[in-house]
Amino acid sequence: AADKINLIPQDFFAELCEQIIQHLNHKIPGVNTAELCQRIQTSGIEINVGDLAKIVNIISFLFSTAASNNLSTEELITTLGNAVTALPKHAVQVIRHVWNEQGKSISVSEDARSMATVGQFVDIKWKLGVAMSSDTCRSLKYPYVTVTLKVADPSGQITDKSFEMTVPQFKNFYRQFKEMAAVLETV
Amino acid sequence: MAAPEQLAPPEGCKPLSALLNGIAQAAYYGNADITEELLRGQLYPEAAPEEFRALRAKMGGLLQSIASADMDLNQLEAFLTAQTKKQGGITPDQAAVIAKFWKNHRIKIHESLINQSRWDNVLKNMNWRVDLKSQSRHIDQINTPVAIVEMELGKNGQESEFLCLEFDEAKVSQMLKKLSEIEESMTLLTQTT
Repeated sequence: AADKINLIPQDFFAELCEQIIQHLNHKIPGVNTAELCQRIQTSGIEINVGDLAKIVNIISFLFSTAASNNLSTEELITTLGNAVTALPKHAVQVIRHVWNEQGKSISVSEDARSMATVGQFVDIKWKLGVAMSSDTCRSLKYPYVTVTLKVADPSGQITDKSFEMTVPQFKNFYRQFKEMAAVLETV
Repeated sequence: MAAPEQLAPPEGCKPLSALLNGIAQAAYYGNADITEELLRGQLYPEAAPEEFRALRAKMGGLLQSIASADMDLNQLEAFLTAQTKKQGGITPDQAAVIAKFWKNHRIKIHESLINQSRWDNVLKNMNWRVDLKSQSRHIDQINTPVAIVEMELGKNGQESEFLCLEFDEAKVSQMLKKLSEIEESMTLLTQTT
């Protein structure tokens, strides 16, 4: 996947690195990989989300390792040269620039590993529908809500998870969150 | 050859009721073990296979019509009455057995039909706990409570995906706000239908 970096135009690559640094600085919950990929594809570049996600992981790992080792920009570029062969010149330039500007402000967390399996809730979208009939039943008539959760997974990539709930399932879901709120308040 | 409706033995309801049950088991409750041969052997041992097949098909068809329309009591009565007046239809006794069966099983069968039409991810289960953060990325987050929520997502009959998410108080509030919007819409919907 590393050689796919060649495909990404400079401005998109800069945006990618910016988001990664901001995520490492806890300014944003994660990198909008899917959305970025779509925009890159629209501009005519053939790259899939999986490859882009791998690239995000590589650069993310690079930056966070550099942060924990307190690398200077030059040291980072040297490490980069050893880790990733034949990076296009514009990519190296972007990395150099981004690190110069914001590299020092990354604070490395020790709980990074313990958080490894938990994602962050970012946002929720919903829609309410009524299933009227189906091939097995002409009179279904049941309302259901479809929910899409935007989550930042542990590696910092933002993905969407969708699922459906019937009315009773939704009521239970809502009730659980109310209980959560009550407990959070009292703790 | 005896007409199918005459196969009901003198004690009347029991075999037909059990037959309807057997049909429902296979069609709606996912019990593939209830075969036609099993039903015939258990309930109508004296009947010839073709006669039984015809009976089963007729009863199955009636049940399907009733279930598909999710008939209420009025619709059911009208439907069954019409069936008793038809050539080769059902007897009033059989109509009574079918009516009783539907009254007892309507909700369960309807639920089963609903489930059969849910092909997208559903929320199978949800668990949560509240943790106190003792270490944190930000100093100001130490000793703040967070909710860890585990959601089991998946399609019916397929392997689940476990989604584990962290919510701080603000995120729970954000969630509650959206959930209250959903509830409002749901209430409006159920009021108008």
